[in-house]
Amino acid sequence: MAAIKIIINTFILIVSSILGFAFGNLYSKRAKSLLDLQYCIRVLESEIINGSFPLPQALENVSIKGKGGMSRIFKRIKEDLISEKREDIYESFLLQKDLLKDRFALKDEDIEVFLYLGKVLGKSSRRDQEENFKFIKSQLENLHLEAEAERMKNTKLYRTLGFLIGLGLVIILI
Amino acid sequence: MEKEIDIFENVLEYISRDVRRILKAIPEDVKGRVEEIRLRNGSPLNIYLDGKDFFITKASKMSRLSHEAYIVDGEDINNSFQLITNHSVYAFSEDIRKGYITIRGGHRVGIGGKVVYNKEGIEFINTISSLNIRIARQKKGVSNHLLPYLIDKVMNPYNTLIISPPQCGKTTLLRDIVRNLSNGKSTVRGFKISLIDERSELAGVYNGIPQLDVGIRTDVLDGCLKADGIMMVIRAMSPDIIAVDEIGGAEDIRAIYEALRAGIKLIATIHGKDLEDIRYRLNLSRIIEERIFQRYIILDRSQGVGTIREILEGDKFTNIYRGKRSLDGSY
Repeated sequence: MAAIKIIINTFILIVSSILGFAFGNLYSKRAKSLLDLQYCIRVLESEIINGSFPLPQALENVSIKGKGGMSRIFKRIKEDLISEKREDIYESFLLQKDLLKDRFALKDEDIEVFLYLGKVLGKSSRRDQEENFKFIKSQLENLHLEAEAERMKNTKLYRTLGFLIGLGLVIILI
Repeated sequence: MEKEIDIFENVLEYISRDVRRILKAIPEDVKGRVEEIRLRNGSPLNIYLDGKDFFITKASKMSRLSHEAYIVDGEDINNSFQLITNHSVYAFSEDIRKGYITIRGGHRVGIGGKVVYNKEGIEFINTISSLNIRIARQKKGVSNHLLPYLIDKVMNPYNTLIISPPQCGKTTLLRDIVRNLSNGKSTVRGFKISLIDERSELAGVYNGIPQLDVGIRTDVLDGCLKADGIMMVIRAMSPDIIAVDEIGGAEDIRAIYEALRAGIKLIATIHGKDLEDIRYRLNLSRIIEERIFQRYIILDRSQGVGTIREILEGDKFTNIYRGKRSLDGSY
């Protein structure tokens, strides 16, 4: 009987700790996604401003040179732009909204900056594009700092909370 | 004709969805003859063919009445501009500064809008308000019957000047002469030709590849000022012939003299009604009086686009051409 109790208590402790870790990780995932997005946008800027590649090619290059799963978003945008013969690339950006939320844990304010990129990308002179990239990078930098602070605070909090809730339940059950 | 329709349909890929749908449904025989498609913000949809302009209604009918036409809006213009620039306006900064973009197929899109200046000159065109798509239609073989007039007894080409008013086919004729002389034809050997294509009209270079057939021995300097281009090819390309469109500036004439000094032959075009029209122009009188050009081909539209009115020999300026013939082959 005691052995069963030990097994159940251990199980509760493990599950609650895992849940705590999972919630905590959401915050670190957002911070990492924003970091990867910043990297991809820097690559995109370089392809456009220095390389002067046509946008579909520039997006393809980002998918090769970019970081993490985020780089694949740019490939999806390129593919949608071409296969659907979009007149406005913003439509291709809009389609990525759910994916950015669900898989990359980005918040609405992060996605807003990403969509702003879709509104201005490729639509003006090189100088103007440079200005737009500067603005978007600074916005993402601010969001990343905020996400980092949240991560520091919440990751530890949720992990500890998960373990403590598990421990609390075990004590009650004993 | 089918190929001409294909050319038109390919051009439509660069036009916004609504306008494309309308133009796709115009009569088939018209599609093959359209020379220009004009989109102006807030104005009727307009096409140009056979020397006349027509308005296009929402139901794809051709009309001479502007109030019946589909009215092009800003979204049509912006979306078309995105398609024309492949969503990459920044990559076309140089072209936009010059006022046009060349698209796949060698078609040229003229741009109207708000011109922004900086210290060096035109910086950009913002707020695009009109687009003029000029459909490039090469007519292969239109110069075949002219070759005997352009080659001397020892099979060397003559310095030749094509004189024509606008829209009479001088660029089409020059392109075909270049193609024939570059490829060679029956007894005529192929010549090394350097083509200075300042306005990207002759070869229609897109992504580094001429979209129009200018021959196998032709090197193209695309988007290059004529005077600069002539000097560059003299030094670097050792051509037998230099071909240029629309000469006339003092710099062009200076460069032409350099080419002649280097023993290079020249084929050029110029805007004008006839020889009299151009012979007293500031920069041209000397070159004509010195008998630099040995042949003058004079075009008009009297029997269709590109009617060859006469070919003058360059010494006594007498007509040596027998008969009239237009570029579409009709007499």
